[in-house]
Amino acid sequence: MVPIRVLVAKPGLDGHDRGAKVVARALRDAGMEVIYTGLRQSPEQIVRAAIQEDVDMVGLSCLSGAHNSLFPKVVQLLKEAGAEDIQVFGGGVIPESDIPGLLEAGVRAVFTPGTPLEEIVNFVRESVKKGDA
Amino acid sequence: MDTEALVQLARCPLDNPNVHVIGVTGPPGGGKSTLCGQLVQNLAREHKVAALLVDPSSPYSGGAILGDRIRMSALSANPNVYIRSLSNRGNTGGVNSTVVSIIRAVMNCGFEYIIVETVGAGQSEVKIASIADTTLVVAVPNLGDDIQAFKSGIMEIADIFVINKADLPGADVLFAALRESAVRHKDGWLTPVCQTVAVEGRGIDSLLDYIRAHGDWLRRQGRLTEKRKQAAKFEILELSSYYLQSHLDQVPADVLAANLANKDFNMLQRLLDAYREIVNSLSEVN
Repeated sequence: MVPIRVLVAKPGLDGHDRGAKVVARALRDAGMEVIYTGLRQSPEQIVRAAIQEDVDMVGLSCLSGAHNSLFPKVVQLLKEAGAEDIQVFGGGVIPESDIPGLLEAGVRAVFTPGTPLEEIVNFVRESVKKGDA
Repeated sequence: MDTEALVQLARCPLDNPNVHVIGVTGPPGGGKSTLCGQLVQNLAREHKVAALLVDPSSPYSGGAILGDRIRMSALSANPNVYIRSLSNRGNTGGVNSTVVSIIRAVMNCGFEYIIVETVGAGQSEVKIASIADTTLVVAVPNLGDDIQAFKSGIMEIADIFVINKADLPGADVLFAALRESAVRHKDGWLTPVCQTVAVEGRGIDSLLDYIRAHGDWLRRQGRLTEKRKQAAKFEILELSSYYLQSHLDQVPADVLAANLANKDFNMLQRLLDAYREIVNSLSEVN
């Protein structure tokens, strides 16, 4: 069985990647191959990495408050590159009121602090399975 | 495992003499990724460069954190650079069983330099030498006494020794030890010992000179074609054992144990017969 591949990326300028690393580790322990980009990536860099790595999904973590511009930008750039089959989910300190707008912009799910890791793992598994069908 | 894709890739030529496949191996934390990042950055000024970076997968979950890219994040926007992170997917030789297939793919996409970084290697992860044209073994000061430099295994596969973190105390002792073990190397190539501080970009230019010199030497000696044939041989060996392993892994242990060599279903005998038949028919073709 080919493992699911996920790019975990930190767009924008905040330097806090504890959450991204915890999620990356949970996905690894669920048998997935997780590519971690490191801090302060531009949406362009993230999209290039996602395509080069041929991932199934991109997980974005943002704690700076810039999610409303950065997350949709990644979705849009993937689409422009013909890679809209790569699905995007996000997490971080994101106000509830911003979530509907992000979902509308094509982000598949947004996980805020306190989300059980199992929920994220199951979400990734299910999303990739659906994409294959 | 997408067998059709692997067969398609195996038809891509591997013998392009204008491409240089460079392997980088050495202990975990020795600075391989940072060094590779420097090499890629320098080479990408004039050439198309592909970097294939192998990290270990978990023996329990099969998952992996592939973090080599972090050290090259400045390069991810460079149009001359392709970076691909690979997990070893259980291969114990320091690489991934499909790495030669991937080399074929990037070689035929116009990449002129292909850098393969192994997992953090101990003493016996030597498969990279069967894949790369030029193998760099990265050592760092203070990992052991000078006897470590005389041991068999990884120290023997170096075409070029790189002492990274050469600004640390102990670098001169290591340099002397490596120089001594390098003298009696194969086929007339004298393994050079190169000192770098990759994180500051120091020593990279002279390392690149050595890499080019080794590439030229291989071509002059007519050894490059030999190297690539060796890589193709590695490819079939690794792919077949990986294929077998990934299928056997899916059979429960008690079923395997019960049918290993019993009278009704002699699995071992069948396997060996199948392999022998393939190898025998090969000799008929030639």
